[in-house]
Amino acid sequence: MHIAEGFLPPLHAAAWTVAAAPFVVHGVVRLNRQLKENPEAKLLIGASGAFCFVLSALKIPSVTGSCSHPTGTGLGAILFRPPVMTVLGTITLLFQALLLAHGGLTTLGANAFSMAVVGPWAGYGAYALTRRLGGRLLVAVFAGAFVADLVTYCVTSAQLALAFPDPAGGFAGALTKFGAIFAVTQIPLAVSEGLLTVLVVRLLRSTSAAELIRLRVLKEGQVAS
Amino acid sequence: MLAIDAAAYRSPWRGHHPAAKALLAGTLLLCALVLPPWPGAPITAAITLAVALGWARVPPRAFLRSARAPLAFVVTGALTFLVSVDTSGLAWAPGGAARAGEVIGRCAAAVLSQLLFAMTTPLADVLPRLARRRGLAGLAEVAGLVYRMLSVVLETVDAVRRAQADRLGARSWRARWRSVTGLAAQIFVLSFDRARRLEDGLGDRGYTGGLAVSVEPLPLRGRFLALAPLPGVVAAVLTVALSLVPSSVPGLG
Repeated sequence: MHIAEGFLPPLHAAAWTVAAAPFVVHGVVRLNRQLKENPEAKLLIGASGAFCFVLSALKIPSVTGSCSHPTGTGLGAILFRPPVMTVLGTITLLFQALLLAHGGLTTLGANAFSMAVVGPWAGYGAYALTRRLGGRLLVAVFAGAFVADLVTYCVTSAQLALAFPDPAGGFAGALTKFGAIFAVTQIPLAVSEGLLTVLVVRLLRSTSAAELIRLRVLKEGQVAS
Repeated sequence: MLAIDAAAYRSPWRGHHPAAKALLAGTLLLCALVLPPWPGAPITAAITLAVALGWARVPPRAFLRSARAPLAFVVTGALTFLVSVDTSGLAWAPGGAARAGEVIGRCAAAVLSQLLFAMTTPLADVLPRLARRRGLAGLAEVAGLVYRMLSVVLETVDAVRRAQADRLGARSWRARWRSVTGLAAQIFVLSFDRARRLEDGLGDRGYTGGLAVSVEPLPLRGRFLALAPLPGVVAAVLTVALSLVPSSVPGLG
C-alpha cells in the first residue's frame, strides 16, 4: 500500500506533501509542547516510534491464507492519539523508505497523508465513537483498527485514481479499478488487523495495565472490564 | 541490523558529507522524475547503477536484492494500467502498455537513486545534522531516538521469533496468530520497560531534556561536491540529445 518512489507524477507528489504538511506540523507542535512539559516522555515517544515501525513490519496470517503486514495506524492512534501518531507514522514511513526501500522520499507526503493522517484520525474517530456509544473496549479497538486500515487503502486508491485516471472511465473508473483490487485483498486484511489489534490490547490489558492507564486508554478501576 | 543500513555503514563513501551525497542522489532522482520516461528513465537508471556499483562500490548483490521488492510492487501496480473500466465494463486500455512501461521506467530510475543514497549514508550520519537545524530539531531528535531504539527492538523481535519457532509457534494457523499477537504485545512491554529504565538512568545523571550526541565532523570536500551533480547532468544531456535524434523505431521518441 506504500506508493513507491517515482510512482506519482511530480506535481501530485508535491501536492500531497503540501496536504500532509499542516497535519505533521500540528503533530510536531503538540509533541514539542508535550516534551517541554514532560522531557522524560521523549524516551517513551522514542520507544513508541520503534514499536510502530516493528508493528508495521509484522507478518500477520491473512484470512486468504497468505501473509501481510498490518498498517499499525489504528493501534498507534488508540495508544498515542492521532497527532502524535501523525509524527510517529511519518518517521516510520521515512525509515521504511530509507531502511527497507518500502515507499519513497518524493511519495512520503502522499503515504503520510493516507497512513499517518487520514488512517489514524478515521480509526481513532471510530474507536472514540464506539466508546461514546457505550461499546466495550475491545469492540471499539476492533472498530478503530478495521476502519484505520480500510480508510488508509481507500485514500491510497483515491490518490492513485487522481494520478492515473482511467482512459475511458476517468477518475471514477480508475477509483473503481484500484478500489476493486484493494477490496479483494484489503477487506480480509482489515479484518485480520482488527483481530490482531484486539488480541494485542487484550494481552496488554493483563500485562501492561499501568502503561495503558498512563496512555489514557484505560482508567483506574477499569482494568478488569 | 537491516541490510540497507549495514551496507551504508560499510560504504567507502561513509567519509563524505551526507549533503554532498544527497545532492548526487537528489539530482539523479530529479532526472528520474522530470525527464521524459523514454529515453530518460533507462539512461538515468543505467547511470545510477554505474555510480552505485562502480564509483560508490555498493555490493551488487545487496543493491539488486534491495531493489527487487519495491520494483516487484511497481510492476504489479503498473499492471492495472493495462485495463480500463467504464459503464460498459472491463476492456483493454488503449495505450495501457506504454503508460505501464513509462511508470515502471520512472520508478526503476527513482528507486535506484533512492537506494544509492540509502546504501551510502547511514541515518546515524543524517539525523544528528538535521537536529541542528531550526524548526527540524524536535522532529529530528525524536527520529534519532526512534532510530537508536530500533536496532535494539529489532534484535528483540528476532530473539522472540526464534523462541516462538523453537516452541512450535508457527506449526498451525492458530499457533501463528497466537505467536504474532504475543510478539506484538511482548515488543510493546519490552520497549516501554526499556524506555522507563533509560528514563531512570538519565534522571540519575541529571537529565534536562537534551539528547544531543557528538558526531564525527565530515568536511564537505570540494572535489566530491563539484562532481556530485555530474551524473545527473550527464543523464539530462544524454536524454535531451537522444530526444533530438529522429527515431527510426515507430512509436518511440
